[in-house]
Amino acid sequence: MTVLRSKKKKPINTFILVVALTVLVYYTLVGVWPFLFNIFLSFRKTDLITVNKFIGLKNYNFMIHDPIFWKSLWHNFYYLGVMVSLGIITSLVFAALIYRTTGAMRKVYTAMFFAPVVTSMVAVSLVWTLLYFPKVGLFAQVISGLFGIDRNRLTFLDNTTTALICIMIMDVWRDTGIRTVIFLAGMDEIPESLFESSRIDGASQIKQFFRITMPLLTPQLIFIAAIYSINAIRVYIQIYMMTGSPPGGPANSTMVLTLHMYLSAFYGNRFGYGSTLSMVMFVILFGLVLLEIKAFQQRWEY
Amino acid sequence: MNRIATMNRYRAAKITSKFILHLVLMVIGLVMIFPLIWMIISSFKTSLEIIDVEFHLFPRVWTLRNYENVFEELQMVRGYINSIIVSSAVTACVLFSATAAGYLFSKLRFWGRDALFFIVLASVMIPAQIVLIPLYILMNRFGWINSYQGLIFPFAMNAFGIFLMRQFMYGIPTDLVEAARIDGASDFKIYFSVILPLVRSSIAVLGILIFLWTWDELLWPLVIVNRNEMKTLPLILGHFTQAEQTFPGESLAASTLVIGPVLIVYGFFQRHFVRGMSMTGLKG
Repeated sequence: MTVLRSKKKKPINTFILVVALTVLVYYTLVGVWPFLFNIFLSFRKTDLITVNKFIGLKNYNFMIHDPIFWKSLWHNFYYLGVMVSLGIITSLVFAALIYRTTGAMRKVYTAMFFAPVVTSMVAVSLVWTLLYFPKVGLFAQVISGLFGIDRNRLTFLDNTTTALICIMIMDVWRDTGIRTVIFLAGMDEIPESLFESSRIDGASQIKQFFRITMPLLTPQLIFIAAIYSINAIRVYIQIYMMTGSPPGGPANSTMVLTLHMYLSAFYGNRFGYGSTLSMVMFVILFGLVLLEIKAFQQRWEY
Repeated sequence: MNRIATMNRYRAAKITSKFILHLVLMVIGLVMIFPLIWMIISSFKTSLEIIDVEFHLFPRVWTLRNYENVFEELQMVRGYINSIIVSSAVTACVLFSATAAGYLFSKLRFWGRDALFFIVLASVMIPAQIVLIPLYILMNRFGWINSYQGLIFPFAMNAFGIFLMRQFMYGIPTDLVEAARIDGASDFKIYFSVILPLVRSSIAVLGILIFLWTWDELLWPLVIVNRNEMKTLPLILGHFTQAEQTFPGESLAASTLVIGPVLIVYGFFQRHFVRGMSMTGLKG
């Protein structure tokens, strides 16, 4: 039997050949090669047309003395902090509220909360820019009505101190639904018996939430924190759409790494420097993914 | 007697707390969808009315001017066609490649499989955004600036999609594949008639995600398109950055046109959207 098989030449499996080769060629072109070329470019000065020369570490040296780079980096991490904390707190509260409803109304609430998630970020950014219309916009009217703040001081996106916060609030709004649904699914998996036995022991609902619900939601919490920290490093659409031209304004108060990279390369014709900024983004993302893998590898069992 | 009174009081308290709960949820829910409702209704207002100092939700004068202007001044129809072509093509390519590669990595054995899978996994960490400049140089070399190929190619395969499909296909019993092979079916045949029907629901989930991602992609089209007739919807909406205060009516009409179709589809397939997105936890 074995002799027979070894004599017969194994037929080439065309499916494996075709699919594996396609995957290999595609990811070499779109993943491996661009990544290596990006490293190569980060050591060069080039405008892609006339100038193209090796300059060693000059781009990196320029970067650490570039105030806009540090500003962008800080904004990215600021964004990360706010999105993860504020985003998780709001959706945990909403999920806890929806958890206590049943039947048709529960579906209605889920549908309402989830609707912004499916919308286009580009379009809702435009809508919110109008809601944030300085002085006379809807938010200006509501806030001045509620808190008695002078309308003329409410300039939202035109103000360097509030612009980024305004964009983050919009972002929290848009994705609340998906986080709420993830938490809700986690809460539904908690056995009812746990709550019952603690109720007999006389635990209040708030105590139950912090002692039972929260610890059992750890996997969901880690998952959401991981996704939103990566998103915060990659953020650009809402900032591009909600701030002026060039984006990242006013006075770079909303500049983030992706936009700084895009503007340096495609507006400033400094493609080498743009690649250097990309490398920084890659290193941060890589670090975050490693952290994420480490967090997931622990067993969350109780 | 006393007990009944206590019970009634208890029941009344329960009903009140339920009522408050629903009231709170209803208010929050309305706040959540308010920006969308405001967008749709205000797109029928004149620009002057939209930024009126006295807020009123419904327009005093209903007008279609904003929509007329958007269609006349911007290449909205062209934008729709471009966006639909690019998003559909990307979705089709991703679904096809992700299922084929998922089958490859979950059920077939060949030399170099793990190395190849490592390359795919590593690519999850190299999104187009990070290699924007090299990709632009590559597309330039191909002569694909201002072309559909150029808009589609960097997204035609999705490492995350491959990973997802591979996970789903691990759940398919290998016996099923072996049985088909003994019957003389080739891997192409097995892929089409055994594997694909079994992962139908995951295909729907991945398809929705990819379509919405591509529909919203801004940075890549910004880099690779500079001719008006190749602009996708996000680029056309991009015209309004900084101009939304001058053309509030038009920008709301354009936004409604971009969000509207997706919201309608969401209305019909709400469960699929919610389940699919929360299962993978990923979007835009």
